[in-house]
Amino acid sequence: MLDLFLAQSAFPQAMGQGVLAHYLFVSAAMFTLGLVGFLTRRNLIIMFLCTEMMFQAAGIALVAFSRYHLNYDGQTFVIFVLTVAAAEAALALALVVFLFRKRDSLSAEAWLEMKG
Amino acid sequence: MTMFAGTLPTLLAAADGPFIATGSAPQWVALMPGLPLLGAALCVLFACLNVKSKLPGYATVALLAGGFVTALAAFLQGPDGYGVATIFRWIHASIGADADASITANFGFYMDGLSMLWMLFVTGLATVIGLYSTEYVASDKGLGYCRFFFAFNLFVFSMASLVMADNLLLLFLGWEGVGLCSYLLIGYFYKKPEAVAAAKKAFIINRIGDLGLLMAIGATFVVFGTLEFRPLFEMIAQGVDGKGQAIGHTWVVVVIPLLLTAGAFGKSAQLFFYVWLPDAMEGPTPVSALIHAATMVTAGVYLIARMFPLYAADDAMVALTVVAWCGAITAFWAATIEFAQYDIKRIMGYSTISQLGFMFAGLGLLGTTGAVFHVFTHAFFKATLFLCCGAVMHGFGGQLSLRRLSGVMWMKGFGITGVCMFIGCLSLSGVPFTAGFFSKDMILAQAFATPDEMIGGATFIGLLLLLTATMTAYYTFRVFFRVFVGPRHFEPGEDDHGHDDGLGHDAHAHHHHNPTEEEEGDALHTGFHPHAPGWAMNGAMVLLAVGTILVASLYFVNKKEDHGWAGTMVRHSTAAYPSPGLAHGKDKPAATTVEPLPLGAPAPEHGQAGKPHAKAGTFLGQDPFKIMYYVSAVLGLIGILAAAWFHAPKGAWGLGIGNRELPSKVRMDAVAARFGPIPKWAENKWYVDELYHAIIVKPLLVLSHVFHAFDKLVIDGLVDLVGALPRWLGTLLRPSQSGVLHGYATGMVAGSAVLIVLVVLVAMWS
Amino acid sequence: MSLLHLLILTPLTFAVAIALAPASRARTIATIGCLVPIGPMLVALFNFDYSRGDLLQFAANIDWIPQMGLSLGVGVDSVSLLLIALTILLGPICVIGSYSAIQDNHKVFYGWLTGLQAAMVGVFAATDLVGFYISFEFTLLPLYVLINLFGSSNRKRAATKFFLYTFTGSIIALAGLVYVVLHHRGIEGAWTFDIPTLASTAMKMSAGEQALVLLALMLGFAVKVPLFPVHTWLPLAHTEAPTAGSVILAGVLLKLGTYGIYRFVLGFVPEAVIAYAPLIAVLSIVGIIYAGLICWVQKDVKKLVAYSSVSHLGFCVLGLVALNNIGLTGSVLYMINHGLSTGALFLCIGMVYERFHTRSMDELGGLAGTMPIWSSFMVFFVMASVGLPGLNGFVSEFMCIIGTFQSSPAWVLEGRAGAAGGSLGPWFAFAAGFGVIVAAMYLLYMTGRVIWGTPKHPHGHGNGHEDGHGHTPPSDLNTREIGLLSVLAVGCLVLGLYPTPVIEAIEPSVERTLAPYQDLLEARAQALMLTEGEG
Repeated sequence: MLDLFLAQSAFPQAMGQGVLAHYLFVSAAMFTLGLVGFLTRRNLIIMFLCTEMMFQAAGIALVAFSRYHLNYDGQTFVIFVLTVAAAEAALALALVVFLFRKRDSLSAEAWLEMKG
Repeated sequence: MTMFAGTLPTLLAAADGPFIATGSAPQWVALMPGLPLLGAALCVLFACLNVKSKLPGYATVALLAGGFVTALAAFLQGPDGYGVATIFRWIHASIGADADASITANFGFYMDGLSMLWMLFVTGLATVIGLYSTEYVASDKGLGYCRFFFAFNLFVFSMASLVMADNLLLLFLGWEGVGLCSYLLIGYFYKKPEAVAAAKKAFIINRIGDLGLLMAIGATFVVFGTLEFRPLFEMIAQGVDGKGQAIGHTWVVVVIPLLLTAGAFGKSAQLFFYVWLPDAMEGPTPVSALIHAATMVTAGVYLIARMFPLYAADDAMVALTVVAWCGAITAFWAATIEFAQYDIKRIMGYSTISQLGFMFAGLGLLGTTGAVFHVFTHAFFKATLFLCCGAVMHGFGGQLSLRRLSGVMWMKGFGITGVCMFIGCLSLSGVPFTAGFFSKDMILAQAFATPDEMIGGATFIGLLLLLTATMTAYYTFRVFFRVFVGPRHFEPGEDDHGHDDGLGHDAHAHHHHNPTEEEEGDALHTGFHPHAPGWAMNGAMVLLAVGTILVASLYFVNKKEDHGWAGTMVRHSTAAYPSPGLAHGKDKPAATTVEPLPLGAPAPEHGQAGKPHAKAGTFLGQDPFKIMYYVSAVLGLIGILAAAWFHAPKGAWGLGIGNRELPSKVRMDAVAARFGPIPKWAENKWYVDELYHAIIVKPLLVLSHVFHAFDKLVIDGLVDLVGALPRWLGTLLRPSQSGVLHGYATGMVAGSAVLIVLVVLVAMWS
Repeated sequence: MSLLHLLILTPLTFAVAIALAPASRARTIATIGCLVPIGPMLVALFNFDYSRGDLLQFAANIDWIPQMGLSLGVGVDSVSLLLIALTILLGPICVIGSYSAIQDNHKVFYGWLTGLQAAMVGVFAATDLVGFYISFEFTLLPLYVLINLFGSSNRKRAATKFFLYTFTGSIIALAGLVYVVLHHRGIEGAWTFDIPTLASTAMKMSAGEQALVLLALMLGFAVKVPLFPVHTWLPLAHTEAPTAGSVILAGVLLKLGTYGIYRFVLGFVPEAVIAYAPLIAVLSIVGIIYAGLICWVQKDVKKLVAYSSVSHLGFCVLGLVALNNIGLTGSVLYMINHGLSTGALFLCIGMVYERFHTRSMDELGGLAGTMPIWSSFMVFFVMASVGLPGLNGFVSEFMCIIGTFQSSPAWVLEGRAGAAGGSLGPWFAFAAGFGVIVAAMYLLYMTGRVIWGTPKHPHGHGNGHEDGHGHTPPSDLNTREIGLLSVLAVGCLVLGLYPTPVIEAIEPSVERTLAPYQDLLEARAQALMLTEGEG
């Protein structure tokens, strides 16, 4: 099925494994940076940005694999993620603002209500 | 079972075995329990209508009189009217589809000589005492009055059910019913803590005995497959159980009678169980007279007399020996306590216990006629005595102390009371030609006539009873000589409303110290006027006193054939038994061979040949039934003379030997002082109540508290522990929830890392 | 649709109506909703064929998930019918009895109370295991709400404990029931939840399996009864519950446990029952005396009556494991009688509590003088509870004791006329008999403290009015209260004086339940005879 589709389309050639590795390296690096940033920083906005970075890292990986497998699904998915991330950013930032107003601080440690 | 029905009636009526009423009694005998029940319903109605007159009392008396007329009518029919009248089916439960046995208990009435005799005095005395009560509780007109007569009526209904029941279950209904009424009536003055406690005590101690009765009913049912008297007695008369197996020489004729005896002893306040009856004297005096002297307490005697064939079916007479011994010991025991009591009503209470002991001894000694006759005469003279005590109590503000009353008979309005009291005392002491003399003699003589081989220790029992009879005469006249004759003196009781709804008895409050002259003087100047009994109370006392005199004559009715009227009645009942020395309905000379066969038609396979043919005993070498007249007369006289010497006033009423001048100072005081603490112990009833409290009540209470704590701490604690388990597990996991965002994030990352490593490892493995 | 569906749906509909209607109407709707089912109930009582009380009558099936054999089947034999009648009778009494006690939140109270009726009828009417179990569990929720919202000071804890405890019990019972269903499927290859069908296959289980099922079912139902030693939720729940809750709890909900034992334990696993009857009997007897003695040292009147329920229900279970006609019949009768007399006692106590705001015997006293009508009723119901012959309690208690007495293999071996098989005997009856004495002790102790004695003046008297600080005596019962108690009193009297029709109605059902036991008991007696012959 896929072969048939590929034969009919004018889709460019799949990228090589070496190229894919580069993309994946970038993606991994970004994800790690985001993760480390999320775990180490206390500022809610920075933490939020770090999550965004991890999102984008995942996005890069998806797009890269999509290209590698010649499958559009990955790219479609990334478009969705971007959209959701945009909405989420709006919401999250609003929440951050709200939280800041409550405590006059952006530190995540100002909020310990979940302590058991 | 029905298969025996045809063979028996003629056979048994002729023999000295149990008489089984096989006919059908007229339905109207149901009026005897029915009319009082109607009375009870009416009293409820009166209470609802808030009747404030004596109407409930008079209505009760009228209905009870109706009951008495019914009883009389039934009696006049004679043995022709004996039989069963079934009114309606009460309980019916089969034990299985294919078994023919079933628990059947009808509201059915078994009329024979025994139930007839009982109903005559129950309804008769209830009517008279009801009349007395209309005046006695008059100060409570209104709700209290209705309550009193409701319970009074209900009592007569229950007593009638008990006595007339044609099955053990209806008997049990009456049995518990009289217990309830006794409870309600003892606790009539419900504001008095003693009365409430006494009521409770009576009910609970009765219940202990009732457990025995209940077990006896269970065993009877299992063994005979029925609870109805007629088939039951037909089987017992044949000496077989419900499946035709012989019952002689088996546990059936020992265990069931002993269980029944436990029930009887509870109700009739015998050995171990007697402690409730003296306390029951907290109730209004008419109640003491009717329930706790004349009728209810004789229910135990009735039960044994009714079930006598089962007792007598035992060759070894184990149960009867127990009954005889316990009766005699109780009679003596209660008499010793009476010596040192100062509350005249309690004296009468102990005297009742003692006299009941005589009746049980009579039954146990195989003298059913004597026992039943004594029940009958005792009902009259003891009721008389109680009513007279009640009149005194009513008149002197609840005063009952022997030491605070004197010469009551000479006070205005109390003449009739004194005369009636005198008649009652004569009868209780067994002075010749009084009712009590004849009936007690039969029991005393029986003790010597019954050979020791049949009832172990019968002779000793007889001697004990003779001693008790002497003591009876002494304590009876001790009351009379101190309270009714002598110098006039009284101190009113604490209850100045004219009835005994007071703050407690003087007996509790005062009788531990002797009042000084000053105190007496004070009491005399409080302006209290004795409250003489009115027409209703006087009328009732006179009726009963006359009755007491008249019932003596019953001893001479059918003297030749049946040893008195009571004998005729007993002969037409299940209590019929060839008493040694009285056998076969004729006065046989002493040393006649006695045929102790209890069963009219013994089962052949079980055979009775091995039974001892014992000789009827003698007393001083004579026929005990003849010589006892003289012996007991002399002993009674000795008792009375002793009472006169120790307690009587100077002059004719002290028989010339008394010397009392003050109400509280008698010769006896000096004698009692010589015995050291013993009179004190006797006054405190040998501390039996305290003993029971210490060995039964207290441990049980402690046990209950222990159980309560155990329930709360251990059992419920375990439950809570199980409930706490999830909570405890949660506490263990709690620290992991720090609330710090980074903590969760780190945890998540670590978890993911572990998962990834696992996935990789698994992938590599496979 | 059958009459029984109507009996379940009517209260349910009214409960929904209460939820929808304004709060001011809740009381009226609840009253009507509880009175209306009396009509169909009477129709059912008159149309029931008592000679065939063993058959499921008015049976009807509504298919639910046929593939799984699930349906909403209903049908009653005489025992279920009588228990439904008791439920329907107590419904209006609870509702009308709460008129003055419940001041606000009418919608919640009356709504749940009416809904509870439906669930209880459902338990007795269901012929389908799932229907039974749903109803059985659904009874928890309304009572939880009633206790939790309308109870006394410690109500939250009581409600939670009641819910969790009995729920845990019923989950265990469910495991047993599921095992029976799976067993049936294993043998027959088809799903069914029809109780009679399941019973017939369950009986064929091996002795070991039966013992396991018995254990599971008894654990569940014993908690509900409650049997010693799993009874501790009851005093707490009773003490904290509002009057109506206590009446329903004592009157009907406890009977769910004994009914469960009757229907499922006795009906499903006869072999195990015969083996374990002495053990269960011992627990019952211990409960009778133990709880009775605890009653004796109570200060709270309501707690006393609550513990007395533990004691009384011991007789009920004892009668059940006597395994003969008289014991079982007495036990079923006991369920009804206890519902009437103990329900009435709780009602009486509620009435006093409304007036004095206390239930402590230290503060109450001498009510015979201040409240003669109430006292008369109280003495009456106490006597019914003590087991005074002529009133209802006696007949059933007597039958339970006699049933136990008969239930000895020795009697069968000796060929006694009144022998009826079983594994107990006279000693069990004798021990249980002490319960009768203890009952007199604690109930008369209570009567002595509360009714007799000198009148005391507790703080909160004055019938709820604010003038309560003067010494105005509290008013005696009003017409409504007298009416309620009279209904129950008449019931007690009628069942005490003329119980034969009820006994005869119960007997066919009991005989059917006991049918599988005849052969087993006979075989057992013969085995005993053989061993005796050898020895």
